[in-house]
Amino acid sequence: MEKTDKQAGEMLPKPELARRRFLMGSMGLVGGAAIGLGPGVSAAGNNLPPNIPAWTKSLGPGVLTKPYGQPSPFESNVQRRTVDWLTPDRIASISFTPLADLKGIITPSGVVFERYHAGLPAIEPTEHRLMIHGMVDRPLIFTMEDLMKFPSTSVIRFLECPANGGMEWRGAQMDGVQFTHGMLACCEWTGVMLSTLLSEAGVKKGASWVLAEGADGSHMSRSIPMDKAMDDAMIVYAQNGEMLRPEQGYPVRLINPGWEGNTCVKWLRRLEVGDKPWHHREETSKYSDLMPDGTSREFSFAQECNSVITSPSPEKPWQQKGRYWVEGLAWSGHGKIKHVDVSTDGGINWREARFTSIVLPKALTRFGIELDWDGSPLLLQSRAVDETGFVQPTYAQLKKVRGTSSIYHKNAIHTWQVRPDGSIANVQLS
Amino acid sequence: MCSSHRTLIVLLVALFGGGMFGGGVFAGVSSADGGVDHGYGYGKTATIEEISGWDIDVRPDGKGLPPGAGSVEDGEYLYEDKCAECHGSFGEGNNQFPALAGGEGTLTDKRPHRTVGSYWPHTSTLWDYINRAMPYTQPESLSDTEVYAITAYVLFLNDLVADDFVLSRENFATVDLPNKPNFVPDSRPDTYNVRCMKDCKEPGSIHVVTSVERQPAQPVIAQSAPLPVPVGEDIYRQACGMCHENGITGAPKPGDDRDWSGRVDQGMAVLVRHAIEGFQGETGIMLPKGGFSHLSDDEVESAVVYMVGESL
Repeated sequence: MEKTDKQAGEMLPKPELARRRFLMGSMGLVGGAAIGLGPGVSAAGNNLPPNIPAWTKSLGPGVLTKPYGQPSPFESNVQRRTVDWLTPDRIASISFTPLADLKGIITPSGVVFERYHAGLPAIEPTEHRLMIHGMVDRPLIFTMEDLMKFPSTSVIRFLECPANGGMEWRGAQMDGVQFTHGMLACCEWTGVMLSTLLSEAGVKKGASWVLAEGADGSHMSRSIPMDKAMDDAMIVYAQNGEMLRPEQGYPVRLINPGWEGNTCVKWLRRLEVGDKPWHHREETSKYSDLMPDGTSREFSFAQECNSVITSPSPEKPWQQKGRYWVEGLAWSGHGKIKHVDVSTDGGINWREARFTSIVLPKALTRFGIELDWDGSPLLLQSRAVDETGFVQPTYAQLKKVRGTSSIYHKNAIHTWQVRPDGSIANVQLS
Repeated sequence: MCSSHRTLIVLLVALFGGGMFGGGVFAGVSSADGGVDHGYGYGKTATIEEISGWDIDVRPDGKGLPPGAGSVEDGEYLYEDKCAECHGSFGEGNNQFPALAGGEGTLTDKRPHRTVGSYWPHTSTLWDYINRAMPYTQPESLSDTEVYAITAYVLFLNDLVADDFVLSRENFATVDLPNKPNFVPDSRPDTYNVRCMKDCKEPGSIHVVTSVERQPAQPVIAQSAPLPVPVGEDIYRQACGMCHENGITGAPKPGDDRDWSGRVDQGMAVLVRHAIEGFQGETGIMLPKGGFSHLSDDEVESAVVYMVGESL
């Protein structure tokens, strides 16, 4: 399933071209010249009209050359990436979704950000079990086969680590939208409603919380209020039409739509029903929000309304004056996105962007707006409003309430500075 | 909430008849169980033995704690053997692995130091976490007695118990962590922006405060490639520490909030550039690569990353 050099070579007319493209890709598309070249444009231009490209005059490989397909080798720069100084190692770490290169609202499964606390477990599905016990009438153990017999539901929902953007509370620090906002993805999730499984076990009177626990070495655990468990929480075994990727919890995970990604426990092995929360490490020491007065908010579950422009971005600079399509993503853990506005002057004046995707609750929503650029510097921002009327805050508003040490839930209006040369810098404004 | 949910199911079943809801389940609508008393009948009953093998969670009220006890004295040996390499002999942390002790009174500082003693609200969380996930490379390898002992020792490192203390299920509730009263429920929404469209700010009031320029993308590391060995700490010890450890010529000391807060705000790229190219500041001077010209740019960068990581 993995791309090999051999496979990549077969797809390309000339090995040296493949090497050249890889080098250009690995340079991060910094230069304007590199970005303007499309696939198949060699330095000699041999494939351009009126010439006939090599691939038009030959046969390609047959079916099943790759029984499980992969992106074009020309897209090899579209990759998850990490920031090594964030964590001591890559076993308990995070990688980021390459938002600048993605289209629409569905994140391809192979580039959905990863978050592990004890590395990626290799779980054999026939040996995996989901246990439900505690304050229930009938403690139950399900096989994967059992779970897939229940009525299934598919929803498109975003998944966001609450630490998304958390490196920037004290100032602009990351040099791309992949790193400022890339702990974010949106997939179609398929599984069984948690309420169905809880009803199957029979929840006892007085039960008000559910502990979800993973089967990996960290046994990641979170306390979920019964209201959420009975509302839209799902036990998910499939993602974007196929079984979950190992990175996303294969063979089964919890999804709490609109809530902190950390609550969506992967490699789920156990659900315990109880009458109090457990106050475990990932809901006290971590994933709590330290306020300037020294108090800490616990069980701050929802991911509030947020947005970011993905093009232009540091990864997608402009080249010359002219008309540009500015686009980005907006999302809210409280429902649908109602409006997205775009400013080019750092928030003095705003124009409403239009939605270019389907608008779903608790899902990424894509917006765009046309912009004529005369080469003057811009301070480009997007501001989302959700269906509850909540308006995405400015940094100043957010910091005024929460200071700069709360790590999580940073959903401030983000600013890209467009410079006269078309390059894009990540900036924060006073 | 649960009983009302069931009432709803009963009502729906009564209104529309059993079986109707079995296949139609959509987000936001709880599944009825098809009108059958015991639902679908999938899965098997979990036995007490099966549950006890996996039921590891502990709550603040002590529910879930197994019988047993462990002493600070035994905990010290276990901690040195199994924990100190990452967390430091005194719980001070090491190479970004978390500190477990210290930091009291820093939660309102610009750079709060969050440890078990300064931040965590419940002793049960410590027992539960050590039992469920530690030691990092060998989860679920500790006996209950060992978990009690290591928990007791971490409490001792935080001056919360005496050196002759023995932690047990019976006295567990007597040890409170100091920061417990400071945990409060989520009170968002707490920002109230308005959807202004025109002349929303004074043009003169907008200034760029911090800025980061695009750096060349890091090369993609193939899944099969070995992970790079962290070298930042080694470089720091060989070269940078001579000045930075002691604040010589105004060098910022790793871990010193006051020294680093303003610098970190400039962004990693600026710090790395200053370290490589040299920098004359108001309070001191940084020679290019600290005078160690044999170091590669990458090695210098890794040392900067290490120092910043120690200071965040």
